[in-house]
Amino acid sequence: MYWFKQIKRILNEPMLFSMIIFIWVLLILFVLYPITMVGLKSFQPKTGIYNFDVYKTLFSKKYFVTPIINTLKLGIVVASVSVLIGYLFAYSIAKVNIPMKGFFRTVATFPIISPPFVIALAAILLLGRNGVLTKGLFGGTPPFEIYGFWGLVIVETLAYFPTAFMTLEAILTSISSDLEEASLSLGSNKWRTFWRVTFPLSLPGVLSAWLLVFSQSMADFGNPLILGGRYHVLSVSAYLEITGSYRISYGSGLAILLLIPTLIAFFVQRYWLSKKSYVTVTGKPSVVRALEPKMYVKVIFTVVCLVFVTAIFLFYGTVLFGSFTKLWGVDHTLTLANYKFAFTYNWEFIKDTLILASIATPLCGILGIMIAYLVARKQFPGRRIMEAVSLLTFAVPGTVVGIGYLLAFNQKPLILTGTALIIILIFVFRELPVGVQNGVAALYQIDRSIEEASLDLGSSSNKTFWKVTLPLLMPAFFNALFTAFVRSMTAISAVIFVVSGKWNLITVRILGAVGNSDLAQAAALSYVLIGIVLVAMFLLRFLTINFSYQTKIRRAMS
Amino acid sequence: MRKFLVFLLAVVFALFVFGKEQVLHIYTALDENEWPIYVKAFEQATGIKVQVVRMSSGELLARIEAESKNPQASVWFGGPALDQIAAKKKGLLAPYKSEAVEKVPSAFKDPDGYWVGIYFGAIAFGSNQEQLKQLGVEPPTSWYDLLKPEFKGRISLAYPYTSGTAYTVLATLVAVMGEDKAFDYWKQLHKQIHHYNTSGSACVTQAGLGEITVGIAFAHDIITKGIAKGYPVILTFPKEPTGYEIGAMSMIKGAPEPDLAAKFIDWMLSAEAQSLMVQWNRIPINPEAKVAPGAVRMQDVNVIPMDFEYFGEQKDRLIERWKEEIEYGM
Repeated sequence: MYWFKQIKRILNEPMLFSMIIFIWVLLILFVLYPITMVGLKSFQPKTGIYNFDVYKTLFSKKYFVTPIINTLKLGIVVASVSVLIGYLFAYSIAKVNIPMKGFFRTVATFPIISPPFVIALAAILLLGRNGVLTKGLFGGTPPFEIYGFWGLVIVETLAYFPTAFMTLEAILTSISSDLEEASLSLGSNKWRTFWRVTFPLSLPGVLSAWLLVFSQSMADFGNPLILGGRYHVLSVSAYLEITGSYRISYGSGLAILLLIPTLIAFFVQRYWLSKKSYVTVTGKPSVVRALEPKMYVKVIFTVVCLVFVTAIFLFYGTVLFGSFTKLWGVDHTLTLANYKFAFTYNWEFIKDTLILASIATPLCGILGIMIAYLVARKQFPGRRIMEAVSLLTFAVPGTVVGIGYLLAFNQKPLILTGTALIIILIFVFRELPVGVQNGVAALYQIDRSIEEASLDLGSSSNKTFWKVTLPLLMPAFFNALFTAFVRSMTAISAVIFVVSGKWNLITVRILGAVGNSDLAQAAALSYVLIGIVLVAMFLLRFLTINFSYQTKIRRAMS
Repeated sequence: MRKFLVFLLAVVFALFVFGKEQVLHIYTALDENEWPIYVKAFEQATGIKVQVVRMSSGELLARIEAESKNPQASVWFGGPALDQIAAKKKGLLAPYKSEAVEKVPSAFKDPDGYWVGIYFGAIAFGSNQEQLKQLGVEPPTSWYDLLKPEFKGRISLAYPYTSGTAYTVLATLVAVMGEDKAFDYWKQLHKQIHHYNTSGSACVTQAGLGEITVGIAFAHDIITKGIAKGYPVILTFPKEPTGYEIGAMSMIKGAPEPDLAAKFIDWMLSAEAQSLMVQWNRIPINPEAKVAPGAVRMQDVNVIPMDFEYFGEQKDRLIERWKEEIEYGM
């Protein structure tokens, strides 16, 4: 009876009804269908036959078992190290009165906006057999083998500890200092206070950050491809199976094995941990007062932060320097030739990437806001499921998405391979969660009474949306646009399966250049990409400042 | 907001219309820095616009197979003929014959016109001279030199399944030693290898940079990407015979632009186009074309005759065996 009523209510609102249908069609077609295809294909060793042969082989042959273990091992180590570093960083910035906080925070976010494999490239330039550090510090023999497990640990930790840092910083700032001060005035020392008060309160955040980094490391494709050497991980094995041997069933099977742990991590993080949060709601505004500790403590925390910031600078600086050298490792004469090369021979790649990302980004933002609006403001059956599905691509590794699109859209009725559309669709649906999440968060903050006021004053619900809700959503919208744009520009793991002669992407080109050991060219192209991202960032700042509601009000007032 | 949406739709629409313009699509296995030499010259000579994607030969074969219901490119340009023979056996190529193709000696083309040669290349070793000095060894001149303890963890080449170069190495070893012995040998070699690449010529730069000491690749790649660039690389050949490739091109079955593809293939066989290969130290098929002074000629090296039809046919099986026994078997 309840469902019947619900459905009847929706049928009374044709606009809402058609929107829900429209979004479900898109989500099923471009999120669920491709992933299902990967799953089906992994049970289909030959056309027309369905059985478990693929998995039997995957678990019996050493050459498939090794990547499975390797991937998990790498994920666990990277997540643990990243969370440790992220915690130190977040604690220093949120709770200890160290200098240069803004600076540390900005630098820590570098790796998030840069192409993912720049750090791997830097690792080769610095620590390879012929690297700058290897030659300068270690006298020609590398301190350890960077092509393999330890190299990947270093590179992925630098790339993903910012995720842990941001998650933990949010948690730590939400822990009210009152509690810590209470503990201190009751006689506990700072050490005990940390372990008995602060740390337990931040534990859900720690687990959350761990799972996020674990998933990112599992899904990473660019770094292991460049730096893995003989240490094979699932994403690379799946890629080699498919593009190297055209054994799609095996590639799909590997992709499914990659998908399972990341999905588990995603659901645990999202639906279990988020409820476990101990963050105390007191009604009073929670105040975070940074501790003013002893001098030596402050120095230690500052030094720890400095070490990591220096490492980031060293890595990015090396790539920048490399982009201006004539022939890395042999002739370090400075030259602009690599940039000239980037803008002549590789202009097509830059142009295509820009065009595709620029088309995909607004579509992604609009769709994300639409879904967020439905999920946060409307009542209809399947609301939670719609939200979960739209967030799903966050959890699904790019490799799985790429294989899925390759399988799903290479046959009738929807032949999309080789078109711009397939790349745009991948961008849109992979970055969709950003828009949905930002939108939902923003909508929960906007009091419904504002919209109700508009309705009471006689505006239609349509007009209310365009004139009231949407303008209030603008900052979240632009933020989602920026993130989607950056992530599209720097994406590699999914799109590498569907790039074609007509539409090429700069990240694929960079990966090719690294694979070919044209390191200086790769460095220059990476910096062109970073440049574009920075321009986009300033554009976004400009847009948010000029179009946000607050500014309009301020302007109207003055 | 609605105006914005309309604008967006217009842009999307314009892109699709724009995309319809006649353009020749090529997949190439040639180096990212090499294919533009020919393609730009072709565009200038004919006014035809060309779009190129670069992949390693193995990846290229997999891609064409994946797209066989809906081919995206018309020409497979460059890379060992072996892979194109494998593609022919799988029914992925279309025969093409013309006056220009007729002129090519029969040893360098498919009798039915499924592929035609562009250049030769011999398998060789490229070694970093500074590291050889440090290690106190001579550059390798035999396949068995690579097994010396000094070279442990200092050799690289590509995966035979992603790279045409590395598959030619596998075929060479099979031709020189016999299949079982070749696999026994590679098991020994595997222990010496630092890592495998996806692209065949990448090991040359890596040897140049000193990331590894010896790379196994084609002589012209070692000259062009190593020696000519200024890296301290020395070129040597194995004294047991080495193997070679015929670099080939072919028309893809169901090619979306067969006329433009035909023009490209004919042009690529002309003396004018073939002379451009001087820039990459390749040995052109067309005898009228210019040859680079330092380039290695077939008669300079001890090469074993290779049955390309056989190795093209056996590729899947040999690769499977390689994966089972070498890459993951140990």
